[in-house]
Amino acid sequence: MTIGAMRDEWYPVGLRSKVDANGQQTLLMGEPIRLHESEGGEIVVETADGRRLPVVIGHGHVWTSLGQPDKPLFAIPEADQPGRRLVEVGVVRVRCSPLRAVENFLDIAHFPFVHTDILGAEPHTEVERYEVEIREHEDEVWATKVKFYQPQAAKSAAGGITTDYMYRVPAPTCSVLYKTCPARPGEWDVITLFVQPLTEELCDVWPWMALYDDVTPMTDLIHFQQMIFLQDRSILENQIPRRLPLDPGMEIPTRADLTSVAYRRWLKRHNYTYGAQLVAQ
Amino acid sequence: MPSTDAAPLTPLALSEDLPPATVMPIWTPEGPMALWRSVGGTLSLAADRCPHRGMRLSHGFVRGEALSCIYHGWSYDQGGRCLRIPAHPDLEPPASIRVATGSVLEAGGVIWRARADDPSLPPDFPGFVPLRSLSFAVSRDVISRTLGGESAGPGILKGTLAGSAVILLCAEQAEGTSLIHLLAPADATLDQRIAVSRAAETLRRAAETGTTEAAA
Repeated sequence: MTIGAMRDEWYPVGLRSKVDANGQQTLLMGEPIRLHESEGGEIVVETADGRRLPVVIGHGHVWTSLGQPDKPLFAIPEADQPGRRLVEVGVVRVRCSPLRAVENFLDIAHFPFVHTDILGAEPHTEVERYEVEIREHEDEVWATKVKFYQPQAAKSAAGGITTDYMYRVPAPTCSVLYKTCPARPGEWDVITLFVQPLTEELCDVWPWMALYDDVTPMTDLIHFQQMIFLQDRSILENQIPRRLPLDPGMEIPTRADLTSVAYRRWLKRHNYTYGAQLVAQ
Repeated sequence: MPSTDAAPLTPLALSEDLPPATVMPIWTPEGPMALWRSVGGTLSLAADRCPHRGMRLSHGFVRGEALSCIYHGWSYDQGGRCLRIPAHPDLEPPASIRVATGSVLEAGGVIWRARADDPSLPPDFPGFVPLRSLSFAVSRDVISRTLGGESAGPGILKGTLAGSAVILLCAEQAEGTSLIHLLAPADATLDQRIAVSRAAETLRRAAETGTTEAAA
């Protein structure tokens, strides 16, 4: 097993607010690591043999890398807008490939069946044509003009609405979703999925949100997102094979899966194959 | 005449455990399969993997005469052909989208894996009725030794539990485990059936913990 090109990327390994002097242990791509806060308030991440790893703090989390990232952590400018509530959802461990977790996050066609009566409901199952591109300058996958009918799009939504979405993949195990904001029409709620690859078939998922919602209690916001992701986990732990197939032939996409098709193509182009299955087996 | 000993029919499940409009996961030597019964009562066996995104079909749902995947609702008919892709309601799915299927037979309250090229009928067990299925974390041989009964054909054991004559239909599962379908006398009283059921659990504990003793 080789980590390949994904070694030099940034990965979330903990919530910044939860790391203290006592420190915590975790795993990154099979390597045990430890993080703690120094006396000076600095976050230190080290491997078991004492090698100091690069650290960056952003989007509520501590990010590190086993390699040497040649670019800063991706920005989410919308999340910095004043008036947003930043929601630290916490962590959900999932027995699946980190890439499968991201791909599921990019998918809307499952809403009526997996998030029934919340993010989707029959008979509103149709996925209308949307636009997908790999933005060369940013080197990111983007899906825009995505629309879907939702019975309860967010904790702050009272009834069914057609929700607009944009999806963005700025790093191989991270996705940012921009979604119609029920409380403030014209603005986008930001919902992210940051995935920590523990191994190729096991991950810790750190959802994080930056919302315009002054009303809903923080606990309810966290519970809503945890409920949604636990529904996803029942899928993610039962896909065969566990790793994401990057070669065509193993799985059959349709027009609704254009984001997934672009994501797989982008992964393959960059040799982002940690958690991928390359040859049909 | 084909030899049924070489490739016997394999017991999969008890009919009572698969009412109409349900699906269950089944392990077979060919891999995981989804066994399902339509609303109209027809039994079908499909590969336990939706070809769209690899989700297990045994987690899906049955509506009418079709089995649907729980992930995106793709539905399949009894022949394995994809009937509907809900994300594209107006699309007629190409005939190439299908799941592999297998043959099954049902007799005397037991569902059997059959082979399309083998006309054998499942064995029948006059005077016996299905009681329950149990998983054992040991092989068929260990169960046979622990029970101390006699073989009555490939994968079929006869013995005594709680004073009642019983028949055990054994299906090998993954990683050296077994699935047992237990048959009890048709004229057993409710109390006797409960006693047989408990004795089968005792047999399982003995088989799983005291294998050496039982073999001695």
